[in-house]
Amino acid sequence: MSYYLSTIAVYFGADLLAAWALNMQFGWAGVPNFAFIIFQAAGAYTYAAVTLGPDSGVNSFQHYILGANLPFPLPLLVAALAGGVVSLVVGLITLRRLRRDYQAAVFLLAAVIAIDVVSADVNLFNGSNGLAAVPQPVASLQNSLGLGAYQWVYAAFVALICVGALVLVRSLGRSGWQRALRAARDDEPGARALGLNPSILRLQVFVIGGMIAGLSGGLLVGFISAWSPGAWAYSETFAVLTGIILGGVSNDWGVLIGTFLIQIAFQEVTALFLPQIGYPGLTDALVWVVIGVLWLTVLFVRPRGILPEKRFRVLAVPRTRIWRGGR
Amino acid sequence: MSSTILLQSIGFGITTAAVVAIGAMGFTLQLGVTNLLNLSFGNVMTIGAFASLIAEHWHLGLAATIIAAPLAGALVTFVLARTLFALFARRQGGAFDLLMVTLATGLIIQYTIDALAHLQVFQFSFPSGSTLNIGPFVFTVLSLSLVGVAALVLAALLAVLHLTRIGKALRALSVDPKLARACGVPMRRMINLTWIISGALAGLAGLVYVTNSLTVDASAGLDFLVLVIAAAILGGAGSPVGAVVAALVVGIASEVVAAVGGSYYSQAAGLGILALVLVLRPASGVWSGPSRDEVTV
Repeated sequence: MSYYLSTIAVYFGADLLAAWALNMQFGWAGVPNFAFIIFQAAGAYTYAAVTLGPDSGVNSFQHYILGANLPFPLPLLVAALAGGVVSLVVGLITLRRLRRDYQAAVFLLAAVIAIDVVSADVNLFNGSNGLAAVPQPVASLQNSLGLGAYQWVYAAFVALICVGALVLVRSLGRSGWQRALRAARDDEPGARALGLNPSILRLQVFVIGGMIAGLSGGLLVGFISAWSPGAWAYSETFAVLTGIILGGVSNDWGVLIGTFLIQIAFQEVTALFLPQIGYPGLTDALVWVVIGVLWLTVLFVRPRGILPEKRFRVLAVPRTRIWRGGR
Repeated sequence: MSSTILLQSIGFGITTAAVVAIGAMGFTLQLGVTNLLNLSFGNVMTIGAFASLIAEHWHLGLAATIIAAPLAGALVTFVLARTLFALFARRQGGAFDLLMVTLATGLIIQYTIDALAHLQVFQFSFPSGSTLNIGPFVFTVLSLSLVGVAALVLAALLAVLHLTRIGKALRALSVDPKLARACGVPMRRMINLTWIISGALAGLAGLVYVTNSLTVDASAGLDFLVLVIAAAILGGAGSPVGAVVAALVVGIASEVVAAVGGSYYSQAAGLGILALVLVLRPASGVWSGPSRDEVTV
C-alpha cells in the first residue's frame, strides 16, 4: 500500500508540473498545444539518453546513442533544456499569425506523427520497445534505504520541485508579462495597438512551458526507469487538458484539483485498483472513452471549470486615488 | 537513389494522391461551407473503413462493400453534426470551441472502435487486379480505378458546385453565411447536405485508404488525416481543384520520402509540407486577422 501511495504521489507531482505548464500555454496565452506530450517525451528520452551510459552489452536489446552517464541533478536540467529546445523549434514554425484552429490541427497532427516515427525508427530511441533499465538517480541511496523508503524520498523530491514550480507559476501569474499574454489572447489587435508582440510573447511562454514539460518527463523516467511510445500517446495530452478544463482554465488551484480528479482519482486509481475486465487493454480503451465523454460534459455543463479564472481589476486602485486626489 | 525507384515511387505517389484527394475534397468542402475545422474527420474515415470491412466479412458482395463506407461516413457525420455539434454551436459558437468538441468526439470514436475491435489490426483483402505498365510507371487495375474514382468525385463536385443552384447556394454560404441567408438560401438544408456529402467522402476516403494499405486499425484514419489536412490547407479551404492539385504534391512527396527514408516517414513528409505551407504563407485564407470566427453547423 505504501508502495502504491508513493508511486501515485510521484505521478501526481509529475502530472501537476505538466498541467501547470500546459495551463500557461493553453490558459494564459491561448496556445492550443495539443502536442504537449511531445515535449514531456523529449525530456524523458533525453534524460534516458544521458544517463544510460555506454553500451555495456548487458541490455543488448537496445541502442545506446550518447553513451553519457551524467551525475544526478544534471540529467534533469538537460531534460528541461531538451523540452525547451524542441519547443523553440516547434514554436518558431507554428506560433505565427495563424488562426487558432489551424494551430490546433497542426499540433494534434504533429503529436500523432511524432509517435509513429519514433515507434517505427529503431535507431532513434529503440522504436516501439522503448528504453529500459534507465538508472534511477542516486542509486546508492536506494541500496542503503531500501526500495520503499527510496520511493518516498523521490516523492518528497518531486513535491519540492512542485512547490518550486508553484512559486514560479504564482509569481509569473501576477506579473505584467502574464497580463500581456492574456491581453494578446483575448484581443490580439488591441494588444498589438499597445505595442505588444503576441508572437514573441507566445514563443516565450511556449518555451518556458516546454522546459517544465521536459523536467516532468525527466522526473517520470527517473522514477519508472523506462520510457516507450506507449507512455506518450497523443491522447495523454487530452488527459492533462481535461484536468485543466475540469478544474478551471487559468486558475492554478483549479488546475491542481482537476489534475488530481482526472489523472489520479480517475486514471491511476482505475489502472491500479480496478480489476481488469474483458481482454487485456479493454479497460484502458474504455478509460479514454470516459475521458472524452468527461471532456464534452465539462465543456457543456461548466465550461469555465470548478474554479473559474479570476478577473483582474487593475484600474480600481489608481482611480480612487485620483478621485480623492489633491494629496 | 536510382531513377527507377524514383519513378516507381512517383507512380505510387499518384495512387496515394488519389486516396488523399478524395479525403481532402470532403474536408475542404466541410471547412469551406461550415468554417469548422473538424478534427474527427479522420476518425470518420476509420468508421468508413470498418464498415466496409464488416460488409466484406459478412460476404455481402463487392457492391455492398463499396457502398457501406460512404453510407456509414455520411450517417455518422450527419448525426454528429445535427446532435453534438449543433448543441455546442448553440451554446458557444466559436470556431475554436467547436474544434475542441470535434477533438473529444474523435477521441471517443477512436477508443470505442479500439474497444470493439479488441485492439487488433485487421487485414483487408480487396481484388487488386492485374498489373499494368503505363510508360515508366507500374499500376494495378485497383490503383488505376482509385485514380478514376478521385477524378470522378472531382468532376461530380465541380459540376454540382458550378452548374446547379445547390452549388451556387453552397458557394454563397461559404463566402458570407449571413448575406446568403438574407438572399433566401435555405441554410439548414444546404448545411445538412454539406455534412452528408463530406461525410460520404470521408467514408469513401477510409475505404480507398484501406484498399491501398490493406490493413486497418482504430488509429488508421487519424494517421492518414495529416496528408488530408495538408492537402486541404495547401489547396485552400473550399476549393476542390486546389485540394486535388495539392493532393498530387502531398502524395508524390510522401511516397518519394518513404522510398528514401522508410515508409514511416511518409506521413512525416505530409507534416513537413504542412509546416512549410504555414511558414511560407500562401494566400489561402488561413491567416489570422479578418477571418470569421462563427461556424455554421
